[in-house]
Amino acid sequence: MNHQMTAIIKKDIRGITSNKRMLTTLLVVPIVLTIFLPTVYIVILRFVPTEGEDMLKLLKMLPLSIQGGESTQNLIRLMLNYILPVFFLLIPIMASSVMAAASFVGEKEKRTLETLLYCPLSLKQIFRSKVMASFLLSMFVSAVSFAAMLLVLETETYLITGTFLLPDIKWLLILLLVAPSISMISITLTVRVSAKAQSVEDAQQGAVFLLMPVLLLIIGQFTGVLLVSAWILLALGAVCALLAALLLKRAIGRFQYEALLKS
Amino acid sequence: MNAVTLNHLSKTYPGGKTAVDSVSICLAPGEVFGFLGPNGAGKTTTVKLLNGMLTPTQGSCLVFDIDPAQNPQQTHALSGVVTEHAQMYDTLTGIQNLIFYGSIYGLTESESQQRGTLLLKELELFDAKDQKLAAYSTGMRQRLSLARALIHEPRILFLDEPTSGLDPESAQNVHAMIRRLASEKGITVFLCTHQLRYAQEICTRYGLMEEGRLLADGTLASLRAKVCSGMTMTIKTSSIPAGLPCRQTDTCTFELAIASEEDIPRIVRRIVDAGGDVYHVSAKQPSLEDIYFRLTGEKEKPE
Repeated sequence: MNHQMTAIIKKDIRGITSNKRMLTTLLVVPIVLTIFLPTVYIVILRFVPTEGEDMLKLLKMLPLSIQGGESTQNLIRLMLNYILPVFFLLIPIMASSVMAAASFVGEKEKRTLETLLYCPLSLKQIFRSKVMASFLLSMFVSAVSFAAMLLVLETETYLITGTFLLPDIKWLLILLLVAPSISMISITLTVRVSAKAQSVEDAQQGAVFLLMPVLLLIIGQFTGVLLVSAWILLALGAVCALLAALLLKRAIGRFQYEALLKS
Repeated sequence: MNAVTLNHLSKTYPGGKTAVDSVSICLAPGEVFGFLGPNGAGKTTTVKLLNGMLTPTQGSCLVFDIDPAQNPQQTHALSGVVTEHAQMYDTLTGIQNLIFYGSIYGLTESESQQRGTLLLKELELFDAKDQKLAAYSTGMRQRLSLARALIHEPRILFLDEPTSGLDPESAQNVHAMIRRLASEKGITVFLCTHQLRYAQEICTRYGLMEEGRLLADGTLASLRAKVCSGMTMTIKTSSIPAGLPCRQTDTCTFELAIASEEDIPRIVRRIVDAGGDVYHVSAKQPSLEDIYFRLTGEKEKPE
C-alpha cells in the first residue's frame, strides 16, 4: 500500500462520510438492527410474562446451550446468540455495497473516474484502493455496530436481570470471518453490476439481490429449518472467503481502460 | 528524442467505426501542436491512444519514447491531461482537489499545497480556493482542470478543447498561459481544438484532421506553401479596369489573388492610370481557416 493508494482510500471514505444522504443510508440499517431491534425485544420481555406454559414449551425446544437459568436471561441469550448474528450480516453487505456503488459508479457518473485513470497509478492499484476503501468502511461500520449493540444490550440486560450476558463464539466467527468475506463478495458483485450501471441508484438496486441469501438464512432460522451454529458459520465463512477470492480475481481482470471509459 | 511520435496510428472501434486512420506525426519537445478538426475528426481518440486509454488497432504511438499502451503509468507520470470528460470532485474545494491529485502524482501534502496555491494564483482562482467545486462556474472548472494537469510539472500537456465554455477573456488568459508554459518551461503542448482562429494564435505547428485522416501537417508557413500559396489583396476603388481578374465583395470593394506584396503597386498603378480612385488597400496571407477549407473543399466548416 503506497502513499498514492492511501490518498485514494482516504478520499473515497471522506467522500461518503461528507455526503449526508449516503451517510444516513449507512447509519440507519445498523441503528435499527443493533439498537432498535434488541431494545424492542428486551422491552417486550420486560412487560410480557415469560413464565407461562407456552413460553416454557418454547424454551425446551431450544438448544441445550441456552437452557438452564432464568427464562428472561435465556430469551435474551437466544436473541444475542441466535437471532442477532444473522441480522447482523446485513450490515457489512449494506455498508460495502453502498460504499462500492458510490466509489465505482459514483465516479463514473460524475466523470471523475477518467481523471483518476490519467494518474500514474496502475489500474490494479486504483481497483485495489477502491476495494480497500469499501472494505475498510464496511469493517469499521460492522465493528462499531457490534460495539454499540453490545453496549446497549448489556446495559438493558443488566437493568432487567441484574447480570451480564456474554456473546458466544459465533460472534467471533462473524466478525473475523463471515463479515469480511461477505463484504468482499458484496463489493466485487457491486463492482460487476457497476460496469453496466449508469447511476449509483442503479448499482445499489442491483446490490439488493445480495441480501437474498441472508434473508433466506433469517427465514431458515425463524422457521426452524436451520439453526445457525458455530459450525455452520465456520463453513459458511470458509465458502464465502473462497468465493470472495475468486470473484475478486475475476473483477480485477475485467477492470480495463476501454471498458471503464465506455459509456 | 521526440516528444510525440505517431506511426501509422489507427483505431477502429468494436462497432466498426474508424476514428483514427493511419496518422503519422512527429513532435519535438517544446512544440505547441494544434491538432485541428471538427467534432468527430478523431482528436479525442488520438489523445486517448496517446495516454494508453485505448489500444491502437494498427500502427503505434510513443510519448517520449514510452509506448502508452504498454506503460500507461509511466506515460501518465510525464503528461498532464485536460479533457471535457475528466472532471474533479464537487465535494472538495479547489485547493483540496489539487492536494488530492498532487498526492496521487507522488507529491507530499505541503508540496501539493504550495504548487496548488501558485497555480491557483496564476489561473486567477486563488480567491475561490476554499469554495467547493460545486459552486464553480464552467470556466473556473476548466481553469482548475488546467491547474490539476500542471500540478506535477508534466513534460507534455494534452489539452482537448481547453477553452470550450470559457468567456473570451478567460480563453485569452488560458492561451497566454499555454504560450508561457511552452516558451518558459519547454513543456510540449498537444492542443486539440475546432477553434482554428484561437489555435493560430498559440500553436507553432498544426495537424489538420478530417474523419480520422490527417489532411496535412506543418507550420503555418509550410502549410501556406503546400496548400494555398499567395495572398489575397482587398481594394476599395471607384472603378476597376476591365481584364483585371477580381471578385467583387461589396459595392466598391474587390478581392484579388496575388503572388506577393510586390504585385500591389503594379495593380494600384493600373487602376489609377485607368482613372479609378483608390480609397483603401490591404493584403492578407491565408489563415488557418482558409487552408483548412481549401483542404476539405468547404465540406464541413469548423468554427
